[in-house]
Amino acid sequence: MASCLWPWRRCCSWRPAARSPEPTAPGRAGSSGTRSSSGARTKMPYFNLMESLTSSFPNVCRISWFHHTAPAVCCCSKTRSGEKYTDPFKLGWRDLKGLYEDIRKELLISTTELKEMSEYYFDGKGKAFRPIIVVLMARACNIHHNNSRDVQASQRSIALIAEMIHTASLVHDDVIDDASSRRGKRTVNKIWGEKKAVLAGDLILSAASIALARIGNTTVISILTQVIEDLVRGEFLQLGSKENENERFAHYLEKTFKKTASLIANSCKAVSVLGCPDPVVHEIAYQYGKNVGIAFQLIDDVLDFTSCSQQMGKPTSADLKLGLATGPVLFACQQFPEMNAMIMRRFSLPGDVDRARQYVLQSDGVQQTTYLAQRYCHEAIREISKLRPSPERDALIQLSEIVLTRDK
Amino acid sequence: MSLQQLLLRFPRSLGALSSHRRLWWSPSLDTISTTVGSWRGQSSRSRAHWNQVVSEAEKIVGYPTSFMSLRCLLSDELSNIAMQVRKLVGTQHPLLTTARRLVHDSRNNLQLRGLVVLLISKAAGPSNVDASCQNCDMVSGIYSCQRSLAEITELIHTALLVHRGIVNLNELQSSDGPRKDMQFGNKIAILSGDFLLANACNGLALLQNTKVVELLASALMDLVQGVYHENSISAKENHITDDIGISIWKEQTFLSHGALLAKSCQAAMELAKHNAEVQDMAFQYGKHMAMSHKINSDLQPFIKEKISDSMAFNLNSAPVVLHQEFLGRDLWIKQIGEAQEKGRLDYAKLRETIKAGKGVTSAIDLCRCHGNKALEALESFPPSEARSALENIVFAVTRFS
Repeated sequence: MASCLWPWRRCCSWRPAARSPEPTAPGRAGSSGTRSSSGARTKMPYFNLMESLTSSFPNVCRISWFHHTAPAVCCCSKTRSGEKYTDPFKLGWRDLKGLYEDIRKELLISTTELKEMSEYYFDGKGKAFRPIIVVLMARACNIHHNNSRDVQASQRSIALIAEMIHTASLVHDDVIDDASSRRGKRTVNKIWGEKKAVLAGDLILSAASIALARIGNTTVISILTQVIEDLVRGEFLQLGSKENENERFAHYLEKTFKKTASLIANSCKAVSVLGCPDPVVHEIAYQYGKNVGIAFQLIDDVLDFTSCSQQMGKPTSADLKLGLATGPVLFACQQFPEMNAMIMRRFSLPGDVDRARQYVLQSDGVQQTTYLAQRYCHEAIREISKLRPSPERDALIQLSEIVLTRDK
Repeated sequence: MSLQQLLLRFPRSLGALSSHRRLWWSPSLDTISTTVGSWRGQSSRSRAHWNQVVSEAEKIVGYPTSFMSLRCLLSDELSNIAMQVRKLVGTQHPLLTTARRLVHDSRNNLQLRGLVVLLISKAAGPSNVDASCQNCDMVSGIYSCQRSLAEITELIHTALLVHRGIVNLNELQSSDGPRKDMQFGNKIAILSGDFLLANACNGLALLQNTKVVELLASALMDLVQGVYHENSISAKENHITDDIGISIWKEQTFLSHGALLAKSCQAAMELAKHNAEVQDMAFQYGKHMAMSHKINSDLQPFIKEKISDSMAFNLNSAPVVLHQEFLGRDLWIKQIGEAQEKGRLDYAKLRETIKAGKGVTSAIDLCRCHGNKALEALESFPPSEARSALENIVFAVTRFS
């Protein structure tokens, strides 16, 4: 218990004189995303982040503290709504029937092999996490706006486009990381080679852009274009590493936002724009997506240490092998400063990966990261609760909890 | 061009920069192929002629066509790419070759697409429809949104140039150097290509015109498919190309070389709110000009006065495909077999064989045929110096003397 609370306790003693909102702190970022903060401004950014969180939402803190002691029990949302839940995935799938067939229809390619490559990951075996969030958000916004019970065709298109942009970036990431398995099968680059894999990624991106243009809404185009830019910038952030320990955490959160959360946040925003004219709702949708997205990635980074590769469908400790220091490592480094040198050389010496892994498992880096993910989830719940109640809204609340408890 | 600007910052690491870059430009320098050398040093007369055509055209569009966006240049990512590309110096990764050529010998060639988009914008002028276009500031008769479009066209083209230079890691030879270097080169090539594409998407979104976004997105899709065909053809090792006729060749070449220019020209008309008819004429000009430009470049190895004999040429180029079609598949395979020596293809010998056939002359005819179609499309535009410049570009690529 004591160790669970230490970052919170520490932050009280580290309280900076003037509190400056950290750009990636939940609920505080502008809707246009984040810009890297100067190191001088944010001393101990993530403690600052915790501090701004806990003082802004004391009740969230209380809930999450409770939550943290019993992480397997998703209790907090039950207090918010008396409704009996259906599985959010089932609820979302009602509007997503034929999702992958429809995506394959967008990939109008005459060459057999190129078509096969582009369709490789649209085999219906993915979690479709992004499309599910998008259609649930669409319905939640529509009901909030005018009690409409329908999902517009354009909103469903956003679900397709989100999955396509995600897949295009996966294909490119796998070439960049020289990855050999994903979702339990061999990667495109391992089967067809890097040269063709890159083109397949470009092709999926172009098909997504065509579908996006056909929606015929320039605002929506701008919103989703931001995602493409963020994905590239996130990849660049991943190339560099910061020497300063404090900058490192801000850098990590910014990268997490750009590489994962931006897509979810902006597609949520896009469906809200299509369904409802109220900018307040757009911001709620964006903030929900952003916070769930960051939590999702934080848990992903935890699972890289705690899960076995069979469960994940991809090798574990993958981040360390790529030289990346994710949340659990950065927290562990607080307890074991000797990890600093390893982070700086990107775990390149023989034995570094194993040693770092051991350090992480001995430290409470995993708990700390999970705890941080909970903060983001609670912020997501706080945002989405501003919408009028609906089964879809409650499903989104439940989904943010599933993000925390998932094991693959 | 942003990538170029960045590369210009490191002249020493990328080889000496010549101050006479423009002299290297000739219509034959179209594609950067990793397997087939590009054809430099056209006869000095036609090169001088081409340079004159282009420098006159550049004057017409107001200011030199330097398509670099400040936003792009000042970004952190760009200096990051620059640093990473530097690390590649000394390796065998093709990204270096692409980068070197972007800087070195094809500065203007890269910008030909942008220049044509600007010229056709000016040739069409403002439309009669009183369009309350939000980007209505016009400089030298060209809307600022059309200038952005010209830049986007160049960004997309360059992104694909960079992406086509990825290497397959499992096919590496020992002469390629360490696998680690190649892997790193791939990483940088993907990232810089994606960076250029993201900038293109961003620029497109700012144009606030969904039809233009759709046109350019479909042009990107065409280009990717075209590059895919080109790659799979150049990957063939036994020198036996696929048995494609000239009509399939035309389809594939349209995808890889014509679609982007054709659709950008059409989009430029859409931005000025011209009707469907004008849009179609602009599309036709872009398409046929690009086709005759490509055939011209394919012809260079067969018509140039001075050429080193052993120089390789593309077996999927227009004259070779036509030669093959006249000859029939069996005879062609026989001819290729005869030109092989110790498993290597004797290009000098094969070139003479092809020159003796009808492939070269019919490729010249085909080039002129596309040139004429491009000129026909231009007739629907009112006479102007911009239109004359577009005509002169066609004359320059269809001139064989």
